[in-house]
Amino acid sequence: MSVPRRFLLAEFATPEPMVAAARKLRESGRAGLDAYSPYPVHGIDEALALPRSKVPIVAFCAALCGIAGGYTMQWWMNSVDYSINVANRPPHSWPTNIPITFESAVLTTALTIFFGCIFYFFGLPRTYHPVFEAEEFRSASLDAFWISAELSEADDVVGLRTTLREAGARTVMVVTESL
Amino acid sequence: MGNNIPVGWAFGIINFVWWIGIGHAGTLISAILLLFQQKWRTSINRFAEAMTLFAVMQAGIFPVLHTGRPWFALYWLFPYPSTNRIWPQFKSPLMWDVFAVSTYFITSFLFWYLGLIPDLASLRDSSTGRWQRRIYGIFAFGWRGSARHWHHYKIAYLLLAGLATPLVLSVHTIVSFDFAVSILPGWHTTIFPPYFVAGAVFSGFAMVVTLLVPARRFMNLKSLVTIRHLEAMCKIMLVTGLIVAYGYALEHFVAWYSGNKYEYFVFANRRGIFVGNERAAANSPYMPIFWLMVFCNCILPNIFWFRFGRTNVYVMWASAILINVGMWCERFVIVVTSLHRDFLPSSWAIYKPTWVDLTLFAGTICFFGTLFLLFLKFIPAVAVSEVKELRHEIEHEHHTGILPPGSQEVIHETEMEGAKP
Repeated sequence: MSVPRRFLLAEFATPEPMVAAARKLRESGRAGLDAYSPYPVHGIDEALALPRSKVPIVAFCAALCGIAGGYTMQWWMNSVDYSINVANRPPHSWPTNIPITFESAVLTTALTIFFGCIFYFFGLPRTYHPVFEAEEFRSASLDAFWISAELSEADDVVGLRTTLREAGARTVMVVTESL
Repeated sequence: MGNNIPVGWAFGIINFVWWIGIGHAGTLISAILLLFQQKWRTSINRFAEAMTLFAVMQAGIFPVLHTGRPWFALYWLFPYPSTNRIWPQFKSPLMWDVFAVSTYFITSFLFWYLGLIPDLASLRDSSTGRWQRRIYGIFAFGWRGSARHWHHYKIAYLLLAGLATPLVLSVHTIVSFDFAVSILPGWHTTIFPPYFVAGAVFSGFAMVVTLLVPARRFMNLKSLVTIRHLEAMCKIMLVTGLIVAYGYALEHFVAWYSGNKYEYFVFANRRGIFVGNERAAANSPYMPIFWLMVFCNCILPNIFWFRFGRTNVYVMWASAILINVGMWCERFVIVVTSLHRDFLPSSWAIYKPTWVDLTLFAGTICFFGTLFLLFLKFIPAVAVSEVKELRHEIEHEHHTGILPPGSQEVIHETEMEGAKP
């Protein structure tokens, strides 16, 4: 059985000190940091040094697949597998295939973006996370700004607490994952 | 139903086009205004997107009923390997429509739901009942507002908006192809795609205003949905209304200028006056509907030139309802008057809706209303997290003094209005 992870949580009333504190912690070499806010906070991506999001690349690939798939479907169904002769018009005519090719590209891309984000980029659905151990953490989706730092055995919790307090945190606490 | 030869497309198609057009304002508000960074959209986008979804649901009912045998529609329309071993005919605009509308519904739903996730999480965290917390918790998927998630979320939301923008233009364009690709006078015209899109936005904004004016009053949203929002919507109705009026004028002009006898006859029959030599057209049974359409869609929106029309909610609400009526009449005029005078005078007929047509239509209005009330009851009608973000931005700009001129007065007015009982 694995050891339950411990997290240090700090709550801030406004976003700016939270971003500053996150930057400070990251620059001091701490890993396993995260920030939580009711809306996307300006500057937190740089503060946590998050890499560029891969969502656009994934979306672009999905769009190409949608175009290829949509066009191939129409070509194969209407001119190979079940060719309908309407007044001797050619069974394969690309202009009539454009609307559905476009729609299938949009559909594939939208589905990929949504489910790709939920399942892969966000790692949801996940109804349990150690940060939810703190009842106070409810404010993270309402009006407060939180930082979490994963703690190891060797960490100086007291020193970290003081640093965060000085950075303007109004609450600092330690939560332990329940296994 | 009252459909018969020669009027084979009546209420089924009129109501389909009407409902799907209403849906377009939601996507316009949520996606196009997002891309143009029109931040005022924040307090109405959730509302308008919900309207889109519910309107598209109503629209989807009609083509299925229109096929007559809905169980056949499944293998006519969806490319799945059925035991009959046949595939749909993709060269038919009907098929394009199926793909356009279903893609539109799915994409709008995903866009709406992605925007809703942070708000569902905040409902989970602010509600006190055990079951409320659980249910909202399930629908929020365990969203915790992590910066690592927001990082992807922002770009995903923007990309979905970017996808929805050409999509919304394509949907009504494809709906108009159902008519324009045929070779029937009154339908076979190249102006249809832009004119349908403008009409869709026009009717959609009218429906948003129809719903928003009572909702902001009874739900006490006056500090979020201000008169400024309503004014902006009135201006969009004015612009799109004028485009629609131009479309009507051009249709009649081209019918005359083309020198095509059949084309001229259809439009003379629609308007009933200035019919020239076409004496037969003087017998125009649907003339009142045509002129009601002209009044509601071309004359009435001009009230929004005046500040009085844009700020008085009663005037605005009454006009919006009449615009919805006018846009319904437009679809009636397009569908029925192009068909009822067939090429053979012996098959001329008058279309009258039966009680089945009327009750089905009334039923969809009630279904739409029910869904809307359920939405208002259970789901945040305003995009809460986006409003919080906007509020923070405004306050930030307020402190640093980079607010554009006039904004302080607006903020003050808004606060005063919100403070009213």
